[in-house]
Amino acid sequence: LDLLLQILINGVLLGGLYAVMALGLALVWGVLNIVNLAHGAFIMLGAYLSWHLYTYLGIDPFLGLPITAVAMFAVGYVMQRGLLNLVVKAPMFNTLLITFGLEVVLTYLAQLAFSADFRTINPSYAGNSIQIGTVVLPLARLLAFGIAIVLTLAMWLFLLHTRLGRAIRATAQNLVAARLYGVEPRHLYAMTFGIGIGLAGAAGGLYGTVSQINPYIGATLTAKSFAIAIIGGLDNPLGVIVGGLFLGIIESLAVLYIGATFADVASFGVLVLVLIVRPSGLLGKTA
Amino acid sequence: MKALRSILILIALAVLIAVPWFGSDVLVQFGINALLLAVLAQGWNIIGGYTGYASFGNSAFYGLGSYGVGIAMVQWDLPFAAGLAFGVLLSVLFAILLGLPVLRLKGHYFAIATLALAQVMAAIVSNVKLAGQNIGLVLPPLNNDMLFYESSLALLVAVTLTIWWLSRSKFGFGLIAIRENEEGAKVMGVNTTLYKVMAFALSGVFSALAGGIHAYWVTFIDPESAFDISLNVKMIIMAVFGGPGTVLGPIVGAFSLSAISEVLSSEVTSIAGLFFGVVVVAAVVLMPRGLADIVRQFRKTGWRYFSENIKATRL
Repeated sequence: LDLLLQILINGVLLGGLYAVMALGLALVWGVLNIVNLAHGAFIMLGAYLSWHLYTYLGIDPFLGLPITAVAMFAVGYVMQRGLLNLVVKAPMFNTLLITFGLEVVLTYLAQLAFSADFRTINPSYAGNSIQIGTVVLPLARLLAFGIAIVLTLAMWLFLLHTRLGRAIRATAQNLVAARLYGVEPRHLYAMTFGIGIGLAGAAGGLYGTVSQINPYIGATLTAKSFAIAIIGGLDNPLGVIVGGLFLGIIESLAVLYIGATFADVASFGVLVLVLIVRPSGLLGKTA
Repeated sequence: MKALRSILILIALAVLIAVPWFGSDVLVQFGINALLLAVLAQGWNIIGGYTGYASFGNSAFYGLGSYGVGIAMVQWDLPFAAGLAFGVLLSVLFAILLGLPVLRLKGHYFAIATLALAQVMAAIVSNVKLAGQNIGLVLPPLNNDMLFYESSLALLVAVTLTIWWLSRSKFGFGLIAIRENEEGAKVMGVNTTLYKVMAFALSGVFSALAGGIHAYWVTFIDPESAFDISLNVKMIIMAVFGGPGTVLGPIVGAFSLSAISEVLSSEVTSIAGLFFGVVVVAAVVLMPRGLADIVRQFRKTGWRYFSENIKATRL
């Protein structure tokens, strides 16, 4: 039972991180109707940025997160304004292809710039952990989990209560009506994509502290983010938390009971099942 | 005009048939690869180009075809043809059993569900004893590149004739109707479920055959390479680059992209993959309907073609 408890806790800690990864993807998908297949590649870039800040400038990975997020926000804004806005109104298939192309480009650029070696962000306290009873809570994972939850909640409040957040939600519902009320769509789309990529960057920074990074992690992370967005639904950032925790726990349990090679089968199997049974997400409105 | 076109196609076919007699070994090997990719692009064209369902799961058919040949030849000592038939059987079963629920999904959801299915298949196969688990299977070698070349070419001709038939048959028009407006097609009396599953299975049959030939040619299969997602993306890009929903477009796309990436990877290895990504991005922005559409429209619009495309889709 102790083992099971520990596994559940690991799953929950992992799930918080997953939630933040999926948050940006869900936001961009919900508002711009673009499934950003390069999302994982942006997470990877964020992780490398954080790694560079830590290794060469000695900036603590958790304190450096705002820098990473802002830098990635700028990248996202420029990319949407300069490139993706050109194809927003194209059929969904074209936007899938273009973001896939971006993923390939980013992965290869990362490979050229950072080499294919594995990297980890290892601050001095990385090995520390807190023990409660028989359960061990690794400090870095706990911190990452806390920040992830705070970020997701902050995002929720931001969408509900700020002017920009309201404009984003209005645009998601009806672009034409939002335009009539004075929303400038090009700028707003770029802002939304920028926020999504900024979140991906922050998620990358957190990911780098709990796991290894290399240029090829992007594709898997995109798939997982997508699964979470599907499970949680696109309407609400809180759904993403549920989806993230759900996937984290399922994966941890699958590793324990069926074997590590089946972890991905479990997560993708859940994804396919959810898609077939409830295409608008477990928590989403019924279509 | 029409006669000229068929003569040109026949000449191109004759040249392709003759390649193994005058071409070098390297050229023949490149040819086999390019032909198989063209078959995959055409197979995708049936479900993606004509029916409008962006399948990211065609690599599952390819993998099933490879494993059909591998299991039949290694584990059961059957001949190659029986292996191909077994692979085709597997992928038709797959298309019917999983196609029924998955083809109900639309747009992004369909794309990602098929992507996930391909991943699940890879993971399942790597745990099946009969399929050699993670290690894979080693097939008996057959050193006859000419045979592989000609059978790949025959397969390409077969799939292209099938698509040509689609472009003028009731079944094909039904698929196009589904692509343009599924509810409308249903109202007009098209049995959409049956048509979609049949298109999915048809596209799977050709992908499986290509996978089977490839498996016997390289004599080695493992889950990683047989269910490779990037292969699936490649076939989509080739079909889209050439012109999805046209009879010859995907072949042109497959040949030209294979040739370009072959040249690049021998000249400048490190940026060949990068180039692929850049081509995809540029193609989507500048020529979203493929080479075939440029050929048709360019005479009318000239260089404005590209800016018109951007204007049509930008915010």
